[in-house]
Amino acid sequence: MAIVKQRQASPISQDERRHIRDLTGLIEQLSDPNPIARRWAARDMANYPDSVSALAGQLDRETNGTVREAILTTLMLIGNTDAVSALVRCLRSEDAALRNDAIEVMKNMPDAVSMIIRDLLRDPDPDVRIFAVNILESLRHPDVQKWLIEVISNDKDINVCSTAVDLLAEVGTEDALSALEALKGRFSEEPYIAFSVDVALKRIKDNG
Amino acid sequence: MADNSITYEDFVKFREFFYRKTGIYFEDSKRYFVDKRILERIEATNTGNFRGYFNLLRFQASGDELQHLINAMTVNETYFFREEYQFNCLVNSILPYITKTKTPGSLIRIWSIPSSSGEEPYSIAIYLTEYWTGLKDWDVEIIASDIDTNILKKAKEGRYSPRSVQYLSEGILKKYFKPLPDGDYQISDDFRQAVEFTHVNLFNLTDTKPYRHFDVIFCRNLLIYFDDQSRRQAAEVFFDALRPGGFICLGHSESMSRISSLFKVRKFPEAIVYQKPEEL
Repeated sequence: MAIVKQRQASPISQDERRHIRDLTGLIEQLSDPNPIARRWAARDMANYPDSVSALAGQLDRETNGTVREAILTTLMLIGNTDAVSALVRCLRSEDAALRNDAIEVMKNMPDAVSMIIRDLLRDPDPDVRIFAVNILESLRHPDVQKWLIEVISNDKDINVCSTAVDLLAEVGTEDALSALEALKGRFSEEPYIAFSVDVALKRIKDNG
Repeated sequence: MADNSITYEDFVKFREFFYRKTGIYFEDSKRYFVDKRILERIEATNTGNFRGYFNLLRFQASGDELQHLINAMTVNETYFFREEYQFNCLVNSILPYITKTKTPGSLIRIWSIPSSSGEEPYSIAIYLTEYWTGLKDWDVEIIASDIDTNILKKAKEGRYSPRSVQYLSEGILKKYFKPLPDGDYQISDDFRQAVEFTHVNLFNLTDTKPYRHFDVIFCRNLLIYFDDQSRRQAAEVFFDALRPGGFICLGHSESMSRISSLFKVRKFPEAIVYQKPEEL
């Protein structure tokens, strides 16, 4: 036996899939009993921005993690407002893994997320507001600090504010100092806020 | 006469375009590197200025100029037996694991991407020949791919500078390389004929779809050039290219766990690698 060339039954010049790759065919294959076919369908749907509602519907039903990951990646690549809305829905899911995956994907969509982040940061559900702050953690967008300052200036929930303070400790600049000081006053009965704000202030000043 | 000014806005416009086509993102700190190569291509294509050149890049039906530019922008610095511990892992842990679960006589497939000028795929071939006793019982196919068509030509030629082969023992150099009059070395024809070189853009769905049924993928020091979104896309490609239970080896500073949850971490004595689950 040896190192050989091209003994493979299906050479690499061929696409071995047999199903039709138009949108109708792909939507059909997204419900295929075989998870491999569902993954391939989800990946190919990146070429079809109109496929978002089918992908979002499958995301609700999908139990296979690898198919779910392909759907999330495709929503990220499509990246339009419908795709972001589908991901926002995941933030309200009871499934923690799905929520975390959606957060990770949204971190990679700075332009699309910037359009809806203020709505998320004002969501009635404080958990969703915390997830929104989590998205900001790695979002490459120049307004991240501005949004965080808005959170610590206005949000009434201590957990949302402390999540934002932790992030400001990492990414904040001198522009955040006065809002951080003011937050201590808003939650003067909460020693944890005073502690985390002091840590953030020190880090920002040290880095400045 | 070419207009040799590229504004920051031009750079940003070009950066977004190149990123969408290749997944490679140039930070501001790479501006000199990028500008220099664009100016060379403006000169070579006689397009006169950035605007003319950018139009050619965007609208040329053949895509030839984009390929020229990709060739100019990609980094191809490597050498034989780089990160050798992973080749040790291949022959002492990964292949013994794979051969336990495969039907005897079936083919073992290895994908090296990016192949650059061939040092990695040829290193794999040498390592298997020298250090894997299983080669007497199994056939192995090595596919080596790169986005840069010039570097693929170089890889097929198999000519290397003394610097490229500096970590090879005298014995291996003598056995598998021919010294050339100009001081370079050429790898033996047996290896040149054994490794299949192909052109692939990881971000072109049509390009990557046929890449299936690999047992092992080597993708080292490529993902460091990508942003998170492109890394995630690359992980999807690799996942579908592997057989269930197949392995992917990344560079020492890269981690699949930070990119995707598709793979399991496998700690072998020689290296940490990533495995596609046996069952989806």
